[in-house]
Amino acid sequence: MGTKFTRRRMVQAGGAGAAGVYLVGFSSRRRRPVGAAQDNVEIRAAGFVESQEQLRQTIDVLAAYTEKNPAVAISPEFTDYDSYVDKLATEAAGGNAPDMMSANADIMGEYSRRGVLRPLDEFVPDPIDLADYAQGTITGNTIDGQLFGIPNDCIAPSLIYDTTIFEQTGIPVPDQMWTWEQYAKTANDIAAAMGPDFYGTEDGGFSYIQCDMFLRGRGKEFYTADRGLGFTVEDLTEWFAFWQGLRESGGAPPGDVQALASGDDLSRTGIIAGRAAILPQLTDTYVGLQSLTENPLGIHLVPNGFDGGELTQHHYTYAGNSSSVSAQTDHADTVIDVIRFMHADPEGIAIFYRGSGLVPASATGRAELREAGSPGEIRVLDYIDMVLEESAAPRNPAIAGVSAILRRMNEEVSFDRLSVEEAAQQFFDEAEARIS
Amino acid sequence: MSRAGVGVEDRPPAVQGERALVPSHPGREASRVQRFFARRGVQQNLAAYVFLIPWLAGFFLLTLGPMLASLYLSFTDFELFTPPEWRGLDNYVRMFTDDRRYFRALRVTFTYVVVSVPLKLLFALALALLLNRGLRGVGLYRSVYYLPSLLGGSVAVAIMWRQVFNRDGLVNQVLNVVGIEGPSWISDPAYALYTLVALAVWQFGAPMVIFLAGLKQIPQDLYDAAAVDGAGKLSRFARITVPLLTPIIFFNLLMQMIGAYQAFTSAFVVSGGTGGPADSTLFYTMYLYEEGFTNFEMGYASAMAWVLLAIIATSSAVAFLSAKYWVHYGDS
Repeated sequence: MGTKFTRRRMVQAGGAGAAGVYLVGFSSRRRRPVGAAQDNVEIRAAGFVESQEQLRQTIDVLAAYTEKNPAVAISPEFTDYDSYVDKLATEAAGGNAPDMMSANADIMGEYSRRGVLRPLDEFVPDPIDLADYAQGTITGNTIDGQLFGIPNDCIAPSLIYDTTIFEQTGIPVPDQMWTWEQYAKTANDIAAAMGPDFYGTEDGGFSYIQCDMFLRGRGKEFYTADRGLGFTVEDLTEWFAFWQGLRESGGAPPGDVQALASGDDLSRTGIIAGRAAILPQLTDTYVGLQSLTENPLGIHLVPNGFDGGELTQHHYTYAGNSSSVSAQTDHADTVIDVIRFMHADPEGIAIFYRGSGLVPASATGRAELREAGSPGEIRVLDYIDMVLEESAAPRNPAIAGVSAILRRMNEEVSFDRLSVEEAAQQFFDEAEARIS
Repeated sequence: MSRAGVGVEDRPPAVQGERALVPSHPGREASRVQRFFARRGVQQNLAAYVFLIPWLAGFFLLTLGPMLASLYLSFTDFELFTPPEWRGLDNYVRMFTDDRRYFRALRVTFTYVVVSVPLKLLFALALALLLNRGLRGVGLYRSVYYLPSLLGGSVAVAIMWRQVFNRDGLVNQVLNVVGIEGPSWISDPAYALYTLVALAVWQFGAPMVIFLAGLKQIPQDLYDAAAVDGAGKLSRFARITVPLLTPIIFFNLLMQMIGAYQAFTSAFVVSGGTGGPADSTLFYTMYLYEEGFTNFEMGYASAMAWVLLAIIATSSAVAFLSAKYWVHYGDS
């Protein structure tokens, strides 16, 4: 074949060159430790953030810490939730978990069980005092009697809605205490008033947190404390049927429209893209969402029961984002001091909590936020305070892989590939295999 | 040498004699580099191996070692943080008897390979033929057409693709102009996979450049002779270009097929990491990744990886076996 393939070789060489450039580019993108100093302690701080604002404040607070403590260098590695979960799994499996890491209830559930997280009880109350932290944030972070994360924030299940749509259509915003039937009616009314290609609410059928609220109204729960499922096929059939009914009446978007909002990108949600009025979401996305739209957003309770039944407050607050410490790190004391700086030092608080969209778990922190917060932050705070007045027990940690089955089954129903009964049954088949 | 590899039987004997020079040095390959070393004796081979040590170390430590480890893990229940437990063939049995999503992933992947690879090769060949003509500024065109491949598996391109095929994306805007209301390509299970096929086809640069190199190797005198004998454009293409290009087509087919089986980035980005909507873009590698890194089923994921290797090996073997019926090497 002679010289026939020389050009191919050149192409390969070119390709290898391009790959090299890519790798170099990638590695130089990694942040260098902030404020390196001699005989220093280097810690890696990794985690997830809910918005650009939170990312900025998190990196800034770590930088402020190293400025005050030149002997400590911190490499911040923060990203969105999905990417973080994948990255953490890889790193932790390789015995290379970050010294300091974000965790939520689900991460804590999986990683405490697998021995990746260090119990933090010895650091409470000194140097970290959690006395005035919302109870739900602490019970939510306590697994088998041990505390695995210092709550960075305090969040609650909610429905976030676009107030201008309600004004525009003249449909009144329902009372905070309401039923699932009222939710459906409101969604349908909005869709009817707004005309084609606009939906009352985005599809919440995929969300185990929303489903948990629905189940609480039926006296059940989604995940049990002992890593099981707290409901039956019939309950789940009702859940899928609720959403399928809304899709059929036009109150919620069909599958192919809802799929446009897949992923963690807030800008893709229907409420921001201008095709829906209500978004089932946790409160921690509120500030990020509000920054993406001119329309004032409101926060509403998820329905607390059904028509003809009793309305009971099923909402709870818990930590959406906590700081946890690796079981392997040699610098636990330093990490704890960084957390203390973020949570208890006035300078740290001012950076970490202002404008980040995080509502502090501590009563003091919330009081300060009320003084200094933006109108958006105050709105979240009002909502959290309302839930805190009468708070139910926080949800239990999710089981890896099971929440994704719920999302998939809801999608199968929305694309008419499975009936609601089939989807509910298949959920149990797959989930039970996963749990055992 | 420049004429070697094409239409030997049609050549005058003198040309065949030229070719015969190479095999008359037994034990030596045609490569200039190796001839260089051969002339300087075995010690030089040793030098070569010394230079190869970094690569060899990388191969044994970073490739072969982990591969063997994953072979072992494929027979275990390995939940990432606890020591693996031996389970024999359990993972493989589950894969083929008790996992509906596995078969979905297989179907999606096979569809993708069967549709995207031939389309991409056709596209690459057509462009290579166009660019093989003496156009002014042809170098620029070549570079421009090659560009998408350089961007290749990048996340940015996949994000752009998402925008292009979105409900109100570029494609639907164009369709709107001619009065067609297009579907939401990426979020409709009926179309989502085909947007990824289009993305793959669009990245036709690498096979195109190889085709171009192949076309350059076909001697002009063959075309001239055929033209003298009254062969038209089409029959020159069908009887000279295609047969002489079959080794290149075969090479491209093989490389693209192997690549297509391993496709990941585009589906991961376009579907937001879910393989959705409704599993319609659940590539084999996506499902493998999900099992391994989201569900912590590393043993199962390892078993899936080995089955994928077997599938690719089988497909390649079939391609090689079929090659003797349609690939014409000049010297055979």
